[in-house]
Amino acid sequence: MDFFADFLVRFLVQFQSPTLGFLIGGMLVAALGSKLKIPNAIYQFIVFMLLMKIGLEGGIEIREANLLAMALPALFSVLIGILVVWGGIRIFSLLPGVNTEDGIATAGLFGAVSASTLAVAIVMLEEEGIVFEAWAPALYPFMDIPALILAIVLANIHQKKQKGGKDIRVDVWQIIKESLRGSALSALLLGLALGLLTNSGSVLNSFYEPLFRGFLSILMLIMGMEAYDRIKELRSVAHWYAIYAALAPLMHGLIAFGLGYIAHLLVGFSPGGVIILSVIASSNSDISGPPTLRAGIPSANPSAYIGSSTSVGTPVAIAVGIPLFIALAQIVFDL
Amino acid sequence: MTFFKAKKIVIIAEKILSEKICAIIDASGARGYTVVPAGGKGAHRRHFTSERASVVDDFSTVRIEVIVSDKSVAETIGNKVVEECFDNYSGIVYLEDVEILRPDKFNGE
Repeated sequence: MDFFADFLVRFLVQFQSPTLGFLIGGMLVAALGSKLKIPNAIYQFIVFMLLMKIGLEGGIEIREANLLAMALPALFSVLIGILVVWGGIRIFSLLPGVNTEDGIATAGLFGAVSASTLAVAIVMLEEEGIVFEAWAPALYPFMDIPALILAIVLANIHQKKQKGGKDIRVDVWQIIKESLRGSALSALLLGLALGLLTNSGSVLNSFYEPLFRGFLSILMLIMGMEAYDRIKELRSVAHWYAIYAALAPLMHGLIAFGLGYIAHLLVGFSPGGVIILSVIASSNSDISGPPTLRAGIPSANPSAYIGSSTSVGTPVAIAVGIPLFIALAQIVFDL
Repeated sequence: MTFFKAKKIVIIAEKILSEKICAIIDASGARGYTVVPAGGKGAHRRHFTSERASVVDDFSTVRIEVIVSDKSVAETIGNKVVEECFDNYSGIVYLEDVEILRPDKFNGE
């Protein structure tokens, strides 16, 4: 009983973080029909800022890191990406009223990774004083890309079976290129390279680091407003999407927490790193995933997968997932 | 000044398709096109033009206009766009009569 009481208290403390406040505030503002607008250009700039900061920090630390320690978590990331998509498709295939291609696309999006959710996790870990390997956010592409590729390949195999005979080839290299060229991953990878190769400590500490939290709060406001707007779209598709979107992030995060714990025992993956891995797994792509899936699985209904991800999956991953994984880590690792 | 008769083909489609459509137009022999952001309501759902940040930018719509002096070029563009793009994506295509100055700008090579 003590365990649960302790857990609940820690969980509620996490819930008061200002980051979550902005997310809920955004939803409230949109629900009340406010004319408050954050221009699109600012949104894109914020995404760049956040990922550049995460990249620079990671790049600077990778210089001294033992890269062999990264191998197992990276392998686990690939594994989780594949498992999440495969499992998601299995789940959707059992549900009534779900179009197969819509289900595959939704599972793909939930296997892919959200940069904004990752940024929130980093701030919350900093607030809690939990250290993590700065290269841990670089696990992002290891999960993101395999998940999107698997979903698109499976959707095309399914279409081929239905149409019979007509040979559809999936250009895997094209999907990898598209993912890496996406605005979020480009900024992260550029940041990693700059952090690794240049003396970027001063610009990181004087510019990117101080602005990180402020910009993240604006991003959360935008995500909240978008989440509310997309709920209307989700209403037009089967209810199962909303139920999947509410439960899947937590399930995926817990699987990753388990694998992360194994990495902790085997190669000393830090508790903070385990949390980051869980958050990456529980997050669902919002920036680069949807266009990639729209191009790769054009027959899937975007209202199904974007509605599930933006209006339910992402808020759940941020508001419930992150506090849950932090609280769990605090108890498991006795932080 | 004399105005010359020409055809304007207008394509309203998802932004994600604009590159593909522009490639079709280029291949058809038309000499240029105009792309502007669009918005409105269609069979699929509302596509509003909004100044507000949109997390998934590629789902907004664009309006692509091409003026050609030869109607058959306009027909080729229209048919190809419908065949190659609109199986799975939302969009509309229509043709308008227009009158232009400097017709040599709109002739194919």
